[in-house]
Amino acid sequence: MEHLLYIGSLMCVWIIVSLAVNLVIGYAGMMAMGHAAYLGVGAYTAASLNIFLGVDYFSAMVIAALSGAVVAVLTLLPLLRLSGFYFALATLGLNFVFFDLFHNLAPRVEGSEGLHGLKLPALLTTADTRFMTTLVITAACILVATHLVGSPFGRLLRATRDRPEAVSAVGKNPTTCQVVVWGVSGALTGLAGALYAATLFYIDPTLFTLNASILMLVFVGVGGLASIAGSILGPVLLIAFTESLRFIGLPSQLLGPVQQGLYGALLIGLMIFRRQGLVGKHDFHE
Amino acid sequence: MNTLQVLAIGLGLAGYYALVAVGFALIFATLRIFHIAHGTVFITGGYAFFLLHRVQGFGLILSGLLAIAAAALLGLAIDKAVYLPVLRRGGGLFSVFIASLGVSLIVEAGFLAYTKGVVSVARTDMLDILNAGPVAVRTLDLAVLAIVAVLYGLLYLWLHRTKVGLEVRGLTDNGSLAAVVGVNVDRTRTHIFLLASALAGIAGVLTAYDMGINPDSGSRTLFVAVVAVILGGLRNLLLGTLIGSVALGILTAYAGFFFPEWVTFGVFVTMILLILVRPQGLFG
Repeated sequence: MEHLLYIGSLMCVWIIVSLAVNLVIGYAGMMAMGHAAYLGVGAYTAASLNIFLGVDYFSAMVIAALSGAVVAVLTLLPLLRLSGFYFALATLGLNFVFFDLFHNLAPRVEGSEGLHGLKLPALLTTADTRFMTTLVITAACILVATHLVGSPFGRLLRATRDRPEAVSAVGKNPTTCQVVVWGVSGALTGLAGALYAATLFYIDPTLFTLNASILMLVFVGVGGLASIAGSILGPVLLIAFTESLRFIGLPSQLLGPVQQGLYGALLIGLMIFRRQGLVGKHDFHE
Repeated sequence: MNTLQVLAIGLGLAGYYALVAVGFALIFATLRIFHIAHGTVFITGGYAFFLLHRVQGFGLILSGLLAIAAAALLGLAIDKAVYLPVLRRGGGLFSVFIASLGVSLIVEAGFLAYTKGVVSVARTDMLDILNAGPVAVRTLDLAVLAIVAVLYGLLYLWLHRTKVGLEVRGLTDNGSLAAVVGVNVDRTRTHIFLLASALAGIAGVLTAYDMGINPDSGSRTLFVAVVAVILGGLRNLLLGTLIGSVALGILTAYAGFFFPEWVTFGVFVTMILLILVRPQGLFG
């Protein structure tokens, strides 16, 4: 039961991340491949504030979301002049840059590679309350995202993706729109990072590598681009599936490779047969 | 260990990068395919060599040739079984890029399951070392540089003296125009993938023999090679990748010597800065 609740919390974390990534890739058409960096920023911010400065975890979460947004916008600004392929490549590079930053500069608890020993409030201490709290926060994020993409801003976002010159023609600035959505996406990812740390109890730099960014791409790709339902379906189905592999007794040292191979096959299958994913309203263009 | 010694190490590394980078650049320049899976072609060459030579005990030359052939065929198979179907079903180059990522995940997962992440070294003996004044040079590095020089010479002849080479250069300039004037794009494509993958296979064999490979050596080496290609630009394919690889070899060697914790950081910050400042390459 405890383990099921843990998986549920994990699903919630990845739903928030998928929403964040789908906002930029699916709705805004910006090929983000480096969101693991922002996830790490959120996780490290929340965990360090909590462990070293004794900041209450909910306040730490808010600060993690803010720092995710700030770092996201700061890394986006220089990349805005790039488009398409080179943009994707540069964001991909962020994974490696931030891995070295986490690895070399981030605080760690004596005698380990990462951080542990979070002082969690009552609502996050036991598995069931933690799951309920995470679920409520996730539901709030889903509401925010649904509201955002349904608002005039959401329409502007899709227009920026499909016809940026038309957006300029009606007097709106597509670049501002991109910066804002990237910031929102960074905030959601940072928040998810804080919840991720609370779910795992332990974080280290290896959680926030290119592999995590690829995982996000798989979740969003399978669920479907430009779809809130897709951002929920993708992580839920895939995490349920890979966890069931553990249940049927696959040896644990094979679990990683099997999962990785499966995700690879899914990416290829999606690109050949169903680029819009399960319930997507848009596909990987170009 | 003096700074001149580091330079020698950097040039040795540059040889491996140059072999991987030139194939990647060839595919990217002609077909606009961002072939991330080129890194797995590289380690497949290395693992095939390791299995044949070290595990099965076949001779050095025979194992090497078979491993290179395996890499070449894998590269061709990736194009035929993955990239062409994606393109045929209306996918764009971006979809091909994501599919390519998928291919490297699968192949790497296979090697990860087989090796459990341990480094596989194909040689059993020590390497010979020549002492030239204050610098100790490994004869293997000299051999690698000689191989790279010969292969680049052959590539130059292939590009500039053969009909396929002419067609390849035509594709680099203008793909659709080349097809219109009667270039058999499918056949040229096969040549390009076989050749590029064989070159990556050679680099894989040499690396497996020299310092050994592990499942993520492929993507690591590929990303450095990509930065080398971006640095050199695609205007002059051979000269550009050669200059880019030498620069990256020296950069990674010195970074590894002075700031070993920051090598990847240095390489990718260089990449991002390059893309921002001169996406066409320093010499493009």
